[in-house]
Order: sequence, then structure tokens, then C-alpha cells
Amino acid sequence: MSLLVVDNLVKTYPGGRKSPPVEAVRGISFAVEKGELFGLLGPNGAGKSTTIGCINTLVRPTAGRILVDGVDITRAPPEAKRRIAVVPQTRNLDSDLTVREILTYHGRYFGLPAAEREARADRLLEELKVADKARAKPKTLSGGQQQRVMIARALMHDPQLVLLDEPTTGLDPQARRLLWDILRGLHQRGLTLILTTHYMEEADRLCQRLAIVDHGRILTLDTPAALKKTLPGAQVLDLWVRAPRPLAPQLRAIPGVQNLEHVEVEGDGDEHERLRLFVDPKDGLLDRVLHAVREGGADLHHVNLAQPSLEDVYIHLTGKELRE
Amino acid sequence: MTVFLALLQRDVLVARRNAGPLLVATLTQPILVVLVFGNLLPRMQLVADEFRTVMLPGLMAITMMMAGVQGVLMPLVQDLSGGREVDERILTPIGVRGVALERIVAGALHAAVAGLIALPAMMLLMHQVSGMEVHPAWPALLPLAALCGLLSAAFGLTLGTHVQPRFSGLLFAVVLGPMMLFGCAYYPWAALAALGPVRYLFLLNPLTFMSEAMRLAVTPNVPHMPLGLLLGGLLGFLALFTILGARSFERRTIL
Repeated sequence: MSLLVVDNLVKTYPGGRKSPPVEAVRGISFAVEKGELFGLLGPNGAGKSTTIGCINTLVRPTAGRILVDGVDITRAPPEAKRRIAVVPQTRNLDSDLTVREILTYHGRYFGLPAAEREARADRLLEELKVADKARAKPKTLSGGQQQRVMIARALMHDPQLVLLDEPTTGLDPQARRLLWDILRGLHQRGLTLILTTHYMEEADRLCQRLAIVDHGRILTLDTPAALKKTLPGAQVLDLWVRAPRPLAPQLRAIPGVQNLEHVEVEGDGDEHERLRLFVDPKDGLLDRVLHAVREGGADLHHVNLAQPSLEDVYIHLTGKELRE
Repeated sequence: MTVFLALLQRDVLVARRNAGPLLVATLTQPILVVLVFGNLLPRMQLVADEFRTVMLPGLMAITMMMAGVQGVLMPLVQDLSGGREVDERILTPIGVRGVALERIVAGALHAAVAGLIALPAMMLLMHQVSGMEVHPAWPALLPLAALCGLLSAAFGLTLGTHVQPRFSGLLFAVVLGPMMLFGCAYYPWAALAALGPVRYLFLLNPLTFMSEAMRLAVTPNVPHMPLGLLLGGLLGFLALFTILGARSFERRTIL
């Protein structure tokens, strides 16, 4: 049986006097197997955090069912909470305790015997490379260090499932890489991890399976490699152009061009439009494309030819750039 | 239960570390009031001697109420405004209502300790003045102080969860200030008979029952509310504010 089953989850936040209700999640279903590293990828406001919140019981679902290890979280939260650990998006370390106390008290809350929680706290501080900060207050730590302490705290009660909500947002590249290594290490030890991210690269590198979420729905769910294979061509050719008349008909007619999409470019200020061509590489393809652009009287600003990435999958599905 | 005790242990540890500022915050006001009304004015013969005896239990009640409300309100403001440190507690296997009850008990401890420290401090300040009728009856004082502490903390939870954190300063001016003046702290319930039926309005104020409870326990010779009414008021308000506070704590923390 799957470790986590999310079945037709719906969450509508009630509106206020001045604000209409918000349908944050509109029927999400997925299952995560034991030992999997699963990702929810999507732009801000897509419903990722609300989904995570429903799984960890901090958000009350409007409808749907969530089972963790067979336990229905809406019916039996205490049993569900022992199986889950949460690394939230906001850094919420207990500001009145030292780093080490944060871990030992977390162990206490979950009923760990004294000797065990002391030993585990020391081991986790070491493992997450924050041992030198054991006596410091969390406010004095860098963002990356706080993030690692939150992960150590999450691991204190030996959970089966760890939920990480945008664990690397706001971290510098070095701290992000260190965190990736840590998450991979945890995964290799057999822990089940679910993370949300709006970083394509992160989703691509870390996750075994990935759900792309937008407007409260799952657009697609598969391994990163399989998702990239769903694209129509073998390569992606991006053109940033300023064109007096539509170029699409001419471009589509070129042999080797499998598909063409207009990509919304948000708030760039200039009037370039982004055309995305899914192509199978053929001799002379690039020549023909450039010829068509020139024939159309267009001003070519920038070209990019690349292997398809998750971002292309995302753009293909939503027609939008994912702003990081 | 282990979760509850662990959370309480954490709160006691933190309170012990911050003991200095916490005590200064809760004891300064009552001690200064005692100094002026219990020591200076009687020596100038501007107030009657009995006033001190009447005022002392009332000030204990005020001290406890302020300590209980603050003991819950301060961490709550931190919890509900952005930082969300409270989430760690809610994610423990105790449940939201358990977290709310723990907050009340922690606030009550704070209140009871403040009240029991205030008593000897105030007695000491007034001891040069004759005519004091303070005879603490400890077997009654301890359970009543505990009850008053719980009530204050539950009231604090209700206030804190119904008011936006940024308005919590207003609470002291608009809610707690009037409560202190109309809560039988500076005059006994018995003396309100002079007001006729208007005096029953004072029963809407939980502090009335707290002041009278302390009067019963600390100055038994001053006429005070009958024990039945007293306990009914304390327990009734405790139940009311515990339910209201826990409910709205849940509403504020679980989206």
C-alpha cells in the first residue's frame, strides 16, 4: 500500500467581507510510495503549500481524503502526526531555546526517552553540519543553517514521511547545493520525502516523480524524464522576435518543426514576443527558420536551441513562463 | 499527557530564564500602587485605614489577572504574527485544543506565582502602618489562587485570539483598564449594596470574583461574597473563556 494517498483533495479558503473565497486546491489526487522522493512543482499560488498543509493537518481540507500509512489524517490527527514531519516554508524555530534544546525538546514532545533524544540530537546536529551552533539561538544563524536545523528537528521523532515546503527558497546557491546533498542522503537511507518547489532545476535533479501543479490542479505527473518525452520535438528552439505580422504560419510549414507555441513574457517592458518551436534536428532547419523570420520582416533579438527541460514541459502545459 | 507536560516544561524553562523582566513587568504596578495608597496616603491621613485592608486582596487579584493575561498574550502575539512558531506545537501529537489548554495552564502558573509573590511584597510595604487586617488562610488561598490564575489565562487566550496582534496594546487601555476599576478590587462587593441593583452589573466582570476570592483568603475579616457565588462565578467564567479561547485558538491556527 502507498505510504501517502491523497484522494480528490479540495480546499477552498472562505472569503471575507472584501475578498471572494479562494479555491486553492480543486481536486488533487496522487499517491506516494514508501522510500520515494516526490515533488510538487508549480508557480507561487498554485496550491502546493495548501496541499502540503492539508497533509500535515495545519490546513483543514474542504473535501477529499488523505491517508498516511493507512491512517486518515482528518479522523486521527495524533496518530498521523507521529508519522509525519514538517519542514515549513517560514522559519519557525523556537526563538527562546538554543539549537540543541530545540531538538531535545522536540524529542520530548514526541515522548522520546532522555538518553535517546540526547544521543539523536547530537547525531543529527553533526549530520546536518550545525554541531558548532548547538548552543546558539536560532536568530543568530544564517538562512541555510536554520533550514538545516529545521530538518534536524523534523528527523528527531523518526518520521516515516517528511514534508518540505520550498526548502531551498531564499538560499544562496552554495547552501542550496548542500541541502540537495542532504536530501539525497536522506532519500538513500530510505526516508520518504515530499518537497514543493518552484525551481525547475531542483525538481529535475532531486525528484523521482513529479506532479506539475497549477491553479489547484495537477497538470501532469510522472518521472522528470518521462515528462520531457511528452514534448512534441526532440529539441526546443526559442526565438525572441519583434514582428510586424504573425510569423507562425511560415514557421509551422518548415519541415522538422513539430509544434509552435507563443510564450507569455511577463513584464519585460520591451515588445519582444517569445516563440517556442519544438523541432526535430534536420540539416538546414536553422537556416530555414532564420529565413522565414527575415522574410516576415521581423527583428530577431535572441535565439536559443536546447534539449528540452522541465521548464519546457511546464510552458508546454501552461503557456506561461515560470517566474522564479 | 506526556506531550502536555513536555510543552509545559518548555514554557517553565523559558519563563525561568526570563524571570527578571517578567516579574518587573507584572509587579511594578501593584507595588507602586501599594506604596502610594497603602503607605504614603494613610500616613498623610488622606485615606482611611480600612482602605488598605480592602485594597490589598484586590491588588493581588489585579496582579494575577495581568500576569495571567500577559503570560498567554505575549507568546500568542509571537505565535500568530508571521513567525508561526506555534506550528511546531500543533504538529505534536497532542492536537490544537491540547496546545490551547497547555497555554492556559502555563499562563496560570505565571499568574499564581506573581500573585503569591505580590502578597508578601505588599504586606512588607504596608507593615509600618497600623490597623492592617491581613491574615492569609493558606488552605483557601492556594486553590483559589490557582483558580484565579487559570481564569486569567483563559481570559488572556480569549482576548488574544479574538484581537489582531497589532491591536493587543489597545486591550490594556480598553478592556483591562476598565476591568480593574470596576472589578471590586478597590472596594468590596458587600459595599456595593449602596448602589442598589446596579451592583449586579459588576458580576459581569470576572475580576469581581477574583478580588472577592482573594478577600476571602487573605482578609477573612472583611465582608466578602458568599463562597457559593464566588466559586460559581470563577468556575463559570473559567469554563466560558476556556471554551471560547480554545475554539478561537483553533480557528486562528488551523486554516
